[in-house]
This record gives sequence, structure tokens and C-alpha cells, in this order.
Amino acid sequence: MLAYVLKRLLVALPTLLLVAASVFFLMRLIPGDPATVILGDAATPEAVADLRLAYGLDRPVLVQFALWIERALAGDLGRSITSGEAVGPLILARFQVTAAIVFASVGIAVLLAVPLGMLAAWKQNSWGDVAAVAAATFLLSIPSFWLGLIFLLVFGLWLGWVPVVGYVTFAEDFWGALHYIALPVVTLALIETGVLIRMARASTVEVLRLDYIAHARAKGVPEWRVLARHAFPNAFAPTLTLIGLIMGSLLGGIAVIETVFTLPGLGRLLVEAIFARDYPVIQGVMLFIAVIYVVVNLIVDLLYPVFDPRVTAG
Amino acid sequence: MRLRPNLLIGGTLLGFVFVVAATALVWTPYDPVRTNLRRRLVPPSSDYWLGTDEFGRDVASRLMEGAVTSLTVAASTVLVALALGMAIGLAGGFLRGWTDRILGAINDTLLAFPGILLALGLLAVLGPSRWGIVLALGLAYAPSVARVVRGTVLSIREREFVEASRALGNSEAYTLLRHVLPHTAAPVTVLATSLFGWVILSESALSFLGLGVPPPAATWGNMLASARPFMQDAPILSIAPGVMIATCLLGVNLLGDALRDLLDPRDRA
Amino acid sequence: MRLRASFLALAASLGFGLAAPAAAQDTLRIRLNADIRSTDPGVNRDANTDGLVWHVLEGLVALRGDATVAPMLAERVEVSDDGLTYTFPLRQGVRFHNGQPLTSADVAFAMERYRARETNWRCRGDLDGAVTRITAIETPDPQTVVMRLERPSALFLTTLARTDCGQTGIFHRDSLNADGGWRAPVGTGPFRLGEWRRGQFIELERFAEYAALPGEPDGLAGNKTPHVDRVRFTVIPDDAAARAALLADNIDILPDARTRDLRDLRARPGLTVHSSPSFDLQIILMQTTDPLLSDVRMRRAIALALDVPELVRALTEGGSRPSRAPIPVGSGFHTPLMSEVPARDLAAARRLAQEAGYRGQPIRIVTTRRYEAFYEIAVLAQDMLREAGINLELEVLEWATQLQRYTRGEYQMMAFGFSARLDPSLSFEMFTGPKATQPRKAWDNPQVQAMLEDSMRETDRARRIALFETMFRQLMEDVPVVALYSSTNNAVTPAHVQGFRSWAVDAPRAWGVRLARR
Repeated sequence: MLAYVLKRLLVALPTLLLVAASVFFLMRLIPGDPATVILGDAATPEAVADLRLAYGLDRPVLVQFALWIERALAGDLGRSITSGEAVGPLILARFQVTAAIVFASVGIAVLLAVPLGMLAAWKQNSWGDVAAVAAATFLLSIPSFWLGLIFLLVFGLWLGWVPVVGYVTFAEDFWGALHYIALPVVTLALIETGVLIRMARASTVEVLRLDYIAHARAKGVPEWRVLARHAFPNAFAPTLTLIGLIMGSLLGGIAVIETVFTLPGLGRLLVEAIFARDYPVIQGVMLFIAVIYVVVNLIVDLLYPVFDPRVTAG
Repeated sequence: MRLRPNLLIGGTLLGFVFVVAATALVWTPYDPVRTNLRRRLVPPSSDYWLGTDEFGRDVASRLMEGAVTSLTVAASTVLVALALGMAIGLAGGFLRGWTDRILGAINDTLLAFPGILLALGLLAVLGPSRWGIVLALGLAYAPSVARVVRGTVLSIREREFVEASRALGNSEAYTLLRHVLPHTAAPVTVLATSLFGWVILSESALSFLGLGVPPPAATWGNMLASARPFMQDAPILSIAPGVMIATCLLGVNLLGDALRDLLDPRDRA
Repeated sequence: MRLRASFLALAASLGFGLAAPAAAQDTLRIRLNADIRSTDPGVNRDANTDGLVWHVLEGLVALRGDATVAPMLAERVEVSDDGLTYTFPLRQGVRFHNGQPLTSADVAFAMERYRARETNWRCRGDLDGAVTRITAIETPDPQTVVMRLERPSALFLTTLARTDCGQTGIFHRDSLNADGGWRAPVGTGPFRLGEWRRGQFIELERFAEYAALPGEPDGLAGNKTPHVDRVRFTVIPDDAAARAALLADNIDILPDARTRDLRDLRARPGLTVHSSPSFDLQIILMQTTDPLLSDVRMRRAIALALDVPELVRALTEGGSRPSRAPIPVGSGFHTPLMSEVPARDLAAARRLAQEAGYRGQPIRIVTTRRYEAFYEIAVLAQDMLREAGINLELEVLEWATQLQRYTRGEYQMMAFGFSARLDPSLSFEMFTGPKATQPRKAWDNPQVQAMLEDSMRETDRARRIALFETMFRQLMEDVPVVALYSSTNNAVTPAHVQGFRSWAVDAPRAWGVRLARR
């Protein structure tokens, strides 16, 4: 088991290098550079040259890359061009915000969606099923910023239940933090519920057709037990893949939600860094996101055999 | 044949969307990009069925034009994502070993790339056009397809009928295409229909962040994104594209479910 | 309402507490549309950074509301007859936030850092040859600073006072780390820096020993007495969320309301909209080296096809005055001549375009959605030019990409905006210059260049105005750009905020503001 985990992490190293390299060179291919953005409409050629010198952007790109890799291996991701902050701590601080919201909302979504999806599959093609699918489809048809803004309007403005802007960490003020992340969590949870219901339903439909389910039924196993004990473990496996994908992509940043709810998360950090061409931050965040993917994938693959006995890890 | 409400409703909804798009190809009430400063934010009337937007453009015409653009973008993106993702997923899941590892590394790289960075990069290379978005979102979604396909292949390749095909002396490629590929149809169809919806939504989110299909071309996504400031004053601007997106997605997904049932190889047996 | 109150009571009794940890009554909360970049004045900066820093640091001189210059830390400014020696006697009783008194040595110390190349001060080049050159800074006694210049300049004091130069703010040496790097500003301003939580908020605390000038607040000069104990700048990037935050009483000042929200905000009881003309400039640039647009007739055709007053009315809902001159309407140098806007003439436009050999080929106009006004200018221009048979094609770019195209001069046409220029010479300079060395400049005309340099040296107001009027007439002949208008700053405050005034720069000022809650 441990050997497998270590091997997987080792295998992931090329991926990380690939991400680092492609981000590094892609960013330098994209027009616009930090000096121009900082100087704006007053960018005299001399001022641009001075700034490029100050940020080390005057050196050949390959040298810049080698320097960056060398420092990154030593654990130093550099400093933000925009704010001068050290990139490593900056990422960790922003990630806490995103992680809190993502874990809470995906947790809620899984608890809601999996039972609902399985029930819908059990009553496949009934009007109840269609209603569940329609409801799920409707949920995932709503752009998150739109739903978020409606919530902000209703709960923040008209009802005044939650503050419209701001954030405190859980460590500072638990109840306060809960108030601040309630709306983004609900928004995200609703949308992910829509996605997961459909997946849970689809995979349960698959499993319910398999012979062993028919056997179980033939043996007179009660229907709820068929669902819970026989169908669930197998039906959950594909859903788990999807949850992994969702977690990976959400942990990498929920830029839109973070923008609407004014949360200092990883997604907003990346988007703002991209717009400002803040190379060290972009590179750092992208490397971090890549690590998240590797870890999430690893966890999913480790969990897969637990639910699907046909696959063995390794 | 059993009653298939999903086929019926899905077909009707999607049919409606396609009729709207087909009509837009030959006729719209007004030029969808023509602005008129004296008629900004006009409420719905017999002249302007859905009113006008902040530039005085006819919302109904833009909605129809948007149907064409959104469907084209979404369909092209799904095709790109499917082609890439299935190739990676099938090869990786079936061949395993080093091929799987290398493909996995590439896949993970793509997966870890946020769509916004891809979009920015490709828009820079291709110039501001909808094809940059198609390629960016296609690349962004291909890994999801690959992972689902690979997962399915992994769970199927050890099954009796696959072993049987090998035992009969069929080549790996034949076994892959004849016995494994059909089994990926169901999950891929479900995923493709979801993808179709996600693409429409992603395009709208990209528009929200300022990187969507470049205006003044209308897509439902960028209409929704630019309607945001007027949510209170002119709710029709948000509601109209919102309803079209919901209709289209509902139709696609219901139809996808019906299609999945029809495609399922076990049903044919 | 009663239902909501009872729900809140219920929620409170269940331990949920009220929505936010109630902000202290004496905290003034101001929206910031993006985090500041640093606290290093005039170095790593943007408009938000400038607006934060001016609460903490003060310079020898400061801008008044009309963009003229007033003494701030200096008691007065004495200029020698040859315009080469500036003497700044310092005000008595001024203290830094760490309690130390202000001396001429502090001024000299700060100036040395600004002038050092490695500081990367934005305005180093201006005071090292571009505007003039400071040849020496002397401190004959602890209360007097003397600066000697290489050549006289009308812009010297304005440059010192420019907000993007960080007002050349005088900081105590405690502001620096041991290695000489910037740590945090220890200044003489009405507020001292409190907690800065990146991406979330920056807090300022009242400086109790602030030595205020008598009289009224005026721009960044005058009486800047702080009345609130604390100021919190809350980072809210999204406009809709910021507006909601104002209505939900999560912020006290919305300094930059969108034009399209004003009607609704004005209609709400208890809210006050404060409008002030700004010193920025919204403009359409034309690339005079483009094969088609190098023909002045084509550029004139485009200018004649635009209905500038209509366009400005539509964009600003009547908030701004159309003007084809680069000198802002609010400036004392904007003369009646500059307010003349030639009437739209579609027939003439068609004829001129025809003569220039235009046959309907598309002309690309670069714009962005980052600044809604740029995009709207491009869309409306496209519509207006179409009526003259001129086919404009939009090229909507992301902002940093557009900036690069601007810096390199890679465009046919561009919808653009210049940030505030506080001296009329700079209003011309921002788009005038040799393209060979500065490709971003739109107007490359050696005669105008000479006049521009004259205007920078000339200290006589009447003669400067004459120069600007001549340049304006030439601008209308050459049409390398079509200036449109200066935008209007609209700040919104609820009734409990008193004493707030908006001004020519969109960042707000927290001094002089009181909170009067029941």
C-alpha cells in the first residue's frame, strides 16, 4: 500500500514538471507582460526596461525557467510581482478559503445527490424519475454566478440574513465564518447536486441491470437492502470518479463564486494574477493545482477498489 | 416499447432550440448586432418581443443568433473533447503499462490546467474568435472524458466476454473496438450530454471573467454575463438567455438519457 | 419586516448570532475595487495604491481640488527669479507617526531614496531630465530644504505633487528595513497604517497628533483632520456586489458607482450621490502609420462621422460634457475654444473617405471589456461610422493584451482611456511624441513637439494657454485621436456619513468625514 502510494507520487513527478514547463512558456507566449500592466498608459520604454530588469524578465526565458525550477525545488516559489508577497504562504492562505467552501459544498452535494440519484434509478422512467432528472438538470443549467447573485440579492440584501461581503477565518470566529461562507457553499452545493444526481442515477441504472441484483431479488432480499448493500457499492464507483474530478477542479479554484461573493480564494488569486501577468504567482498556483490533482486522483484510485471489487489497485 | 417521457420531452425541448437556431440562419426580426442608442433597455412590446438590451439591440434577435453560436460552439467543443478524451482513455485503459502512465501524465497536465488559462493562451494565439474558446474548452474537458472512459475500460477489460474474445485469438485492437468500445458508449453519452451543458455554462463563466466568445457576437452565455448589471432594472435580459440555456440543457440531458437506454448493448441482446 | 425581525431574534436565540461581527461604530468602511499593490509610494502602485497612501504620507506640496499645487509639509514655496532654486521652509510642529519631529534631513533622506535608480520610483525619469533635473538637494538648517534645478519648469511642483508619484511623500527612515527595502510607511498623514489583510481589507488608524492645517479640506491639501478612529478599505472587486454591500450597510462609502446604477441609487431615500468631473480622458486613437489611416482625409472622415455629443450622452447618461480637447473640462486651462465640438457631417465624411480611396474595407478597432466605457465607445463608434459607410470591426481583447498593443502602437484604431493628467502640458504629452522611439504615441508632429516642450518650460499662464490653444487647433487639423470626454466620478454615501466629498480623482478621502449613527 505504502509502496503503491510512493510509486504513484513518483510517477506524478513528470506531470508536475510538464505542468510547470507548459505554464511557464505559455505565459511568456501570451502577449502583455507585468511591466506594461503596472505602468499602464504611462509606459515609457525606459520605465518598462527598468521594471523588466528589476523583475529579472530581461534574461533569456530558458535561464528564467532554470532559475525558477532551481528555487522551486528548494521550496521557494518567489515573490508576487504585484504585491511583493512570498508566493508559497500566499497560496496556502488563499487555499484555506477555497478548501473550506469546496469540502462543505461537495459534502452536502454528495449526501443529497447519491440517495436521490439511486432512488430515481430505482424508479427508472417513472414520472418521479423524470422530475428528479429535470430538477437536477435545471440545477446544473444555472450559471453559478447567476445563482450566486440571486442569493446575494435575496438573502444578503432583502432578508439581511448574511453579510454581502467579507470573510473571516474559522480560527478567528467560527460562527462569523459560517455566515460568510453560507451562501457560496449553498450555491455551489446546489449546482454540484445537479451534476451528481445524474451520475448516481446513471450508474445505478447500470448496476441494477446486472445479474447479481436479479439473483439477490430472486432470493427475496428486501428491495431497500438490494439498493443499500448490493447496488450502492458498485454504483458509487463511477460517481466517485466524478466526485474526484469535481473536487480537483473546484479545489483548483472557484474563481466565479469567489468573485461574486468577494472571497479571497485561490481561484480569484489565479485569475487576478493572469490578468496582471504576475508570473511567479501563476506558476506557483498552477504547480499547486497540479499537486492537488495528483493527490485527489491518488485518493480516488485508492478508494476505487473499496467500491468496485473488479478493480484492484496497483 | 416502454413509455419514455425523457425521449418525448427531451426531443421536444431540443427540437424547439434547433428550430430557433435554424430560423436564425435565414431570418431574425432585427440585425442582432445593430445598436440603437435611442432604444436602450426598452421593455418587451409588439415591436421588440423581448425588449432591447443596453445597446438598444433586439433581445429576441440576439437570442436566436445566440442559439446558432452557442450550439455551434458547444457541439464543436464536445466533439473535440470526445475525440481527444476517448483516444487517451481507451488507449490508456486498455493498453495499461507505460502507455497508460505517459498518457496519464499528459492527461493530468491538461486536467490541472484551468480552462481560463487555456482560453487566454489560445485566444492570444488564434486571435479573439470563437474557435479559440472551442479548442480551449475542448482541451479542458478532454481529460474528464478520458478518465471516465479509462475507468470504464478498466472495469470491463477483465470481464468474461473480453477474456473470451482474447481466448478466441482475436487481436487486441479488434477486441478493443468490438467488445470494449461499445461498453463505453453509455457513460460517454451521458458525459457528452452533460458536457454539452457544461460547455454552454463554461462559455458563460468565461464571458463573466471577460474571456468568452468575443462580443458583439451573441451567445447565450455572454448575453447572460452582460445582463448581470441589469438584473433588477431589466430582468428579461437575464431571464431570456437563462431560460434558453435551461431549455437546451434540459432537452439535451433528457435526450441523452433516452439515448443511453437505447444504445445500451445489453438491451439489444 | 416584523417577520424578518422575529426570525433574527429566533436565529440569535439559537446561537447563530447576528450576521457580521458588528463593526465598531467609529469605523468608516470604504469600498476598494481591487487590493492595493503595495504601500511603497509611487513605486509598485496603481490608482488604489495612490489613494491609500495619501492618507498616510504627505509631501512638501499637495494638489488642490482644481489640480493646482498648494504647500503641505512646506510652510510655503519660494522660487528664485531664474526659476532654478526652490526653497521649502518646513512647517513647525509636524510629527511622524512614530512621534519623531519632521526635519529637513528626513526630506533629504526620502528624496535620496526616490532618486536612486534601484528604487524604481515612477517619477525618477521626470525629475532626472524629462521635466527638469534636480541637481542638488540642500538642508541649510533643520527646517529648510532647498532644491536646485537644471532648467526652469512649469511642471516641477506638479510632478512632486502627482498622486501617481506618491505625492513624493516624505517618510521617516523607520519605513525602511535594515537592507533599505520598503517595510511600511511611517508618515505624517492624518492616518497611520493598521492591519493589511491581503485581498480582504486594509485598515487605517487615526493619527491623534496629526498637525492639521487650518481652513477647509481642498483636494489633498488644506485641513485634513481625521474624525473617525478607524478606516477600513474593503476589497470588493465585483461592482454588483459592491452596490449590494452599500445597500446592506456593509460599507459606508461606495466611491465608484457605475453610471447605470445612478438612477436607481438616487431614487433611494437616504443615499447621496456625489458627482465630480475627473481629469482622465476617454479617447479614440488612430494609427497614423497605417496605410489607410495615414491619409488625414480618412481620419477626418472618421471624426466627422462620429456624433460626439450623442455618444457622450449615451455613455455617461448626461453626466459628462463632450470635449474634443485633451485638457479636461474641469481644468483651469480648458478654454471656451476647446469646448467647441464640430458638428457631425455624414455627407462630408463620405466624401472625404471616398477621396482617401476608402472602399468599404473593414477597419479594426481594438477594445476591451475590462473597462466598460472602452467597449461601449467602440460599439457606438461602429454604429455611427456605419451610417457614413465606414466599416468598423471590433477586436475585443483582454486588458493586458490591449495594453501591449497600445504600448507597441499595434492597432488601426483603439478605444482607450488615459488616467488623470494634472498639468495641461501632460494632457497633450500623453499621446504626443516621436513614434520612432515611443511607438505608443499617437501624434507624431515635430512642430507640435516643439510647442509642447515650450509649454513645459513656460511659467506664464497666459502664454501657456495660447500655446495650448494653438496645439488644440492643430490637433483638430491632424486628427490622430478623437478625444471624447472626461468621465465623472460618482460616489454614493448613506445618510449617516457626513462631510464626504468626491473630487477629481476617483479614490476617496477619509479625512473630514464623520459617522453620525443614532
